[in-house]
Amino acid sequence: MGPEPTPEGIHIRGLSHEYVRGDESVEALRDVALEIPAGQFVSLVGASGCGKTTLLDILSGLLDVQTGAVRLAGRPPRAGRRDTARMFARDALLPWKSAFANVDFALATRVGDAAERASQVERLLESVGLGEFKQALPSELSQGMRQRVALARTFSLRSRFIMLDEPFGALDALTKINLQDRLVELWEQVSASTVVLVTHDLAEAAALSDRVIVMSPRPGRIVADVAIGLPRPRNVRALHATDGFQKLVAGLWETLDSAS
Amino acid sequence: MRRFITLRGFTMKERLTLAGGRLLLIGLWGAAWEVAAASGALPRGLIGQPSEFLLDFFKLVVDGTFPAAALITLEAVFIAFVLGAILALLTALLMTAFPMAERLAAPIIDALNALPRVALIPLFILWFGIGTEQKVASGVSIMYFVLLSYTMAGAKSTDPDHLRLARSLAIPGWRTFLEIIVPSALPAIFAGLRLGMIYTVLGVITAELIAGGKGLGTLVSYYSNTFNPNGVFATLIALVLITIALTATMSRIERSIAKWHAPIAV
Ligand SMILES: Nc1ncnc2c1ncn2[C@@H]1O[C@H](COP(=O)(O)OP(=O)(O)OP(=O)(O)O)[C@@H](O)[C@H]1O
Ligand SMILES: [Mg+2]
Repeated sequence: MGPEPTPEGIHIRGLSHEYVRGDESVEALRDVALEIPAGQFVSLVGASGCGKTTLLDILSGLLDVQTGAVRLAGRPPRAGRRDTARMFARDALLPWKSAFANVDFALATRVGDAAERASQVERLLESVGLGEFKQALPSELSQGMRQRVALARTFSLRSRFIMLDEPFGALDALTKINLQDRLVELWEQVSASTVVLVTHDLAEAAALSDRVIVMSPRPGRIVADVAIGLPRPRNVRALHATDGFQKLVAGLWETLDSAS
Repeated sequence: MRRFITLRGFTMKERLTLAGGRLLLIGLWGAAWEVAAASGALPRGLIGQPSEFLLDFFKLVVDGTFPAAALITLEAVFIAFVLGAILALLTALLMTAFPMAERLAAPIIDALNALPRVALIPLFILWFGIGTEQKVASGVSIMYFVLLSYTMAGAKSTDPDHLRLARSLAIPGWRTFLEIIVPSALPAIFAGLRLGMIYTVLGVITAELIAGGKGLGTLVSYYSNTFNPNGVFATLIALVLITIALTATMSRIERSIAKWHAPIAV
């Protein structure tokens, strides 16, 4: 028997996924089993093409479950579930809407009252340091600023389940650490939420998560499940300066290497 | 907040230099032409002479010949442009709403679009006579396909992540269409409108060349049939100026609506 199913969290058992196009098929996931208790922050790491985005797509209901069972708070995933939020690999901001309108677009699906919404959007944009850029179009923002808008949009939903796909992939090291701290703050504000973060960056996984799940190269299987015992609240920049943290990341590298 | 990126990206000085350079090029070309014609190095009766057709141009503007002919041509251009645009956008709407309709019609539309429209003009004359209607038909037959193909390409260029975002937010289909697919297609639609405008003028002028009447196209064929190259060139100047004015107006409207996007070159 595996671990106890978590009724309020995420439950994945025997999950396999295959992409079929014509005669060809690609096996993306094989027999994945995972229990994520409610309120946990989990990172998913693994080689490129090992099925991380596929797994997030399944959890957010954008791809159908083919084989296996998936439950979020006891119910199967479905696109548009009000308790899930998804952030895409590139920022996916609507280029014709201002920073404000982009966040408002998402929040409007949860909050009907425009005035109430406006004050929430403003507070969120300020909390990611974009108070002065509310009316800027995405094309007038840097990549890091755009990611911050996307982060604000995702967290504006105050969802129980938050799925983030390489939110900081394209950023320089300094911007990245700043945004990681923003993310930690946003998450600690809505700390009841369960986060699944896909990343290529092991330091990011260690600094942010309670737990790092290591996947094998395609077809993706779970090969290691590493608990991160660092105390919270965390400060990513300060963590980087400590020896213990560097050892932790080095350990994750070894785990990842032996997985491939 | 001030916009800190200029889409066009040229300073005033660079623009003046460019405009000056262009004038210089045209001036050199005109001077060489003038010399060749005046000295008899090339037959003046065939190539015309810039000093004379420029003068003709102004005379024909002042005596009302060009304004009257331009109005007649522009009437057909305007009707064909609007009609073609409405029909193309409606077709695109249908095809986006019902992908089956697109798969059904796409090869037929491609085949029709491959047809040389000039060859249809005799048919249009047969159907509609030699008045405005056949010119409109000729213009529409080009405008419709240009805008339809640009609009469909634009709708398909919608970022898949934007559609996934809409799904994950449970945005209803009609709102996804209005708030995501339409704005995504807008830059391509404007490119299609700009190019379609030029082709509508082409379609109408061709119809006038063939069917006669009172428009600018008819003037071109009249002057060329009476061995008056200066008259032909004077009319061409009028046509070029009109087309430039029309596309500049389109670009202006485009810049005020699709601010987030640099115009697509056509
Ligand atoms: N729409 C699709 N059609 C066919 N195959 C696909 C599709 N999407 C993904 N795949 C394949 O499935 C495998 C897993 O893809 P996925 O995007 O989940 O990987 P990933 O772990 O997110 O990779 P990366 O880290 O590069 O983003 C890949 O080998 C890919 O080729
Ligand atoms: Mg991916």
